[in-house]
Amino acid sequence: MNFLAPVVAQASAQTLARLHVRSFVMTAEPKSLHVGDTLRLRIVTHVDENVGQLDNVTLPDLSGFDSLGDERACSSSGHGTECTEILALSPTETGDRTIAPTTLDAIDARNGKPSHFATNPVTIHVIGAAPQPNGVTRALIDDLLKPIAILILVGAAAYALLWGFGRRPRPKPALPRPVPQVVAPPAPVDPLPPLIAALAAERTRPRVLAVRDEIRRRVGAREDETLGDLLRRRAAGDDRALVDVLRAVERASFVDDDRLPGAIDEALAALSNWKRA
Amino acid sequence: MIAAEQKPQTLLDALETTIVGQRVTLEALLYALIAGGHVLLEGPPGLAKTLACRALASAVGGSFKRIQFTPDLLPSDIVGTRVFDQRSGEFTTVLGPIFAHIVLADEVNRAPAKVQSALLEGMQEHQVTIGPQTFPLPDPFVVTATMNPLDSEGTYALPLAQMDRFLVKVLVDYPSTEEEGRILERFGGEQPAMPRDVVTVADVIAWRHAARAVHVEPRLKRYVVDLVAATRAKHDYVDRGASPRATLALAALARARALVDGRDFAVPDDVRAVAPAVLRHRLAFNYRTLTDKIDPESIVASVIGAVPTP
Repeated sequence: MNFLAPVVAQASAQTLARLHVRSFVMTAEPKSLHVGDTLRLRIVTHVDENVGQLDNVTLPDLSGFDSLGDERACSSSGHGTECTEILALSPTETGDRTIAPTTLDAIDARNGKPSHFATNPVTIHVIGAAPQPNGVTRALIDDLLKPIAILILVGAAAYALLWGFGRRPRPKPALPRPVPQVVAPPAPVDPLPPLIAALAAERTRPRVLAVRDEIRRRVGAREDETLGDLLRRRAAGDDRALVDVLRAVERASFVDDDRLPGAIDEALAALSNWKRA
Repeated sequence: MIAAEQKPQTLLDALETTIVGQRVTLEALLYALIAGGHVLLEGPPGLAKTLACRALASAVGGSFKRIQFTPDLLPSDIVGTRVFDQRSGEFTTVLGPIFAHIVLADEVNRAPAKVQSALLEGMQEHQVTIGPQTFPLPDPFVVTATMNPLDSEGTYALPLAQMDRFLVKVLVDYPSTEEEGRILERFGGEQPAMPRDVVTVADVIAWRHAARAVHVEPRLKRYVVDLVAATRAKHDYVDRGASPRATLALAALARARALVDGRDFAVPDDVRAVAPAVLRHRLAFNYRTLTDKIDPESIVASVIGAVPTP
């Protein structure tokens, strides 16, 4: 599915799709890395229409990065279509590198005019190998540090020699050879139950936030998504008990301190219902 | 939570009996009324911008004045003037149309900067000076200004510093075909009935007090600051980002939205929902936005979307 196909030339208005573009965002993770490491450049487009793919999308110049592959997906629901492209990139040069916006040409459904939509640019900080000493530092090492280092090495060798003559090491008893054991791979541990138990034991905001983060991770919430975004995106498939959990945990995460104990009680009750369901 | 007789949702419901669709516009008007700010409505003619403002004033039961901005308008036509009384031999002050709870500045970009300044000074200071005397404006005082983006001939663009005085800028969109059918069915050529005195000015003042007490968690405040800071980061199409006034506006509107939703605490959705309306008129887009034909709305959306939610 080629929904982010780059265009070679400016598409004419007749070939452009008529779209109501709600959001068009580019993010990178991590934003700071070493040469040779891998970063994921994610381009997410949300349109009101149900479309199978997005044409006339132009990716930015990615010179300075090696492309390691990409993933593409479009999903439609009652709230339109969300298309995501994730590029795996590896920087080849050090320094701050700004990736220019990705662009999308379409007829803007709000005014019927051919429009040029653009994401935000993304700046990546690429760190190289440790810096080499400059000329002045090298001269300092040659003039001062080298003689000192030689003296220290000579002294250490003499001390080791004397210490070695004075104390003859006893032969070590032979240790029994360890019997190789077959260790089963650890069973996947669900991190949520311990977090809920910790919340029940210690009803504090950090415990609530830990539960919230885990549930958001479990339901596939992106870091730029609010609860409202998440519920709209997952509206078709979500069960009532999970929606109640998400709402109760959100309330406990942002309510004021006086109402926090009551909100945590509600969150724990919702979590219990969800577990039963 | 609210000591007022009526809840904000009542006002919203009443406005929807007159205005079909335009939910975003009506919500923005209500949030700005609660947050104590002014609203800029931009959209083509015939989209009920003026009607929405009139309906709001009628429903609140406060005083309402409409000023049609034209190239020959004078500052004194807005704030008022001093008139010499020949019988008493003294000057008397005649107050202008700005002295109302809700003032509609229709086509605000059709008057020159001097006239716009007279209005915007009152918006910021909540008082007006005429000759040697200073007069406080009524409380609540909300200016709703309209602009038509299609017909730019003979207009005076509002400078960024003046745009900043508006708490929100709402882009009024065409109704859906289903909504347009309901418009035809509901009005059919007759003047739409206005909701009258649904709430009182005292209710609005009580909502304002309640909104100020809405709790905003420190993590959410951090998100507000990060959103505004993101507008100031180096960007190909933005020369200047939003001011700290935008930070205050975001927090105030998030509180207002939480109150209308019946909550006494704000959540990330409140901030995210009002962010485009708070930020879109506070960014200075550069010439490349025009030459590359980039939609400014997509830039605002991408800046907001790039900030992780708390």
